[in-house]
Amino acid sequence: MRTWNSMEEFEEFLDAGGVVEPNDAMPETYRNAVFRFIELHANSEYMGGLTERDWIPKAPGMHRKLTALAKTQDEIGHAHLLYMVAADLQIKTREEMMVDLLEGRTHFHNVFHYRVHSWTDQIAVAYLVDAAALASQQAVFKNCSYGPYKRILRRVIAEEGFHMRNGEEMMLLMARGTKTQHDMMQESINRWWLPAVQLFGPDSRPGDELLKWHIKSERNEILRDRYVQKFVPQLLNGGFTIPDPGLRQDPDDGKWKISEIDWEPLKKTMRNGGPDSARRIADARTAWQNADWVRRALDSSAELIA
Amino acid sequence: MTITQSDLEIVRSAVAAVKDPEYPDLTIEQLGILENLVVEGSSIRVDLVPTILGCPALNTIEQDVKAAARRLGHEVAVRFCLSPVWTPERISDDAQQILADEYTIAISPRSGRTRCPLCGARSLEKRSDVGPTACRSVYWCAECRNPIEVVRSREVPAQ
Repeated sequence: MRTWNSMEEFEEFLDAGGVVEPNDAMPETYRNAVFRFIELHANSEYMGGLTERDWIPKAPGMHRKLTALAKTQDEIGHAHLLYMVAADLQIKTREEMMVDLLEGRTHFHNVFHYRVHSWTDQIAVAYLVDAAALASQQAVFKNCSYGPYKRILRRVIAEEGFHMRNGEEMMLLMARGTKTQHDMMQESINRWWLPAVQLFGPDSRPGDELLKWHIKSERNEILRDRYVQKFVPQLLNGGFTIPDPGLRQDPDDGKWKISEIDWEPLKKTMRNGGPDSARRIADARTAWQNADWVRRALDSSAELIA
Repeated sequence: MTITQSDLEIVRSAVAAVKDPEYPDLTIEQLGILENLVVEGSSIRVDLVPTILGCPALNTIEQDVKAAARRLGHEVAVRFCLSPVWTPERISDDAQQILADEYTIAISPRSGRTRCPLCGARSLEKRSDVGPTACRSVYWCAECRNPIEVVRSREVPAQ
């Protein structure tokens, strides 16, 4: 166990690339910040897994069903690992985190607060949203100061990379498909572009403690801009348009600039007031209740063995 | 066109270098997925052993194998074998080390207890038979307090 005499000393340790382990005597403010960050990530994986699950029966063809099944398993598995690490920080138990999520008291990423209307919406989620999530996870991983979280991210990133490739493949299939398929894909891009760009959040505040303590390693606006530079040309190459009338290319450096984002609707969404938040949370609650007998059966068989 | 021994070797090394979609640092050869290359008349067939039959990455692996051979001007067929059955022992020693060091993933030994790849503790507690992927279980190391994933070993049916 390592101890630090002051916050300054702890921050020097972090600035020098130090990695904090669970047995270290970390400052309570740091413990809380890491906990909140991992809890948000865990909740998002869990809610994402439930969305993915909805598409297992609806996915066209055996191969797509297998992929949807495996992605569901991935997301729920990631949530499981993250909840283990979050619970170990001894601020809330896993049960408490689940109850808070299902009662709407805690939060999850903006992209899971909208309705997925069609199969092409699901492709847009896999292609645009998963890529945005992956970019932000990669940025956290690069320099993350909390050891157990960094280790989970290593595997999460490897698996999400596979999801993204899958999304890209499905998007290209639609791009080369019939006019109806192309139009459907465009409609879905129109719905999901802004939520994907907003996933990175508003510009990072100066003095953001997540950055200061190396829980995150890059500013939101930098990640968002990098995403725009990568995905605008990709979508244009696929013959799609970007649903942003203010989008322009800088004549000097060739960089893409998107319109100013109004963050007010996002704030409401993140407080579980988004277009599909209530239904999603209710759905998660039903799933939790339906699995109650499984948890009880597991608990009682564990007691019998013990 | 006839396939020469050197064609087969060149294609083999290209195919062996194909990366696994879920472990981008490891090749399908290191993971023991590549079984064999067989000459069938005037073409080559690549036999692969899936880690798990329902693995969703099989299509991707197949595409990548075909693309690797195509870059050398060869069209290959890919066959997923039902036998032999893939077991964690098929993972090469260097790949096992990379899994432990880079991914915190352990391989359950044939005998004895699985050790934590981080701190070496032997007291891993099982939390779930199946983890994020169907080929791994989830354990908790109470020593260093990290979740540990362990590649599941399976009973090999008698031949």
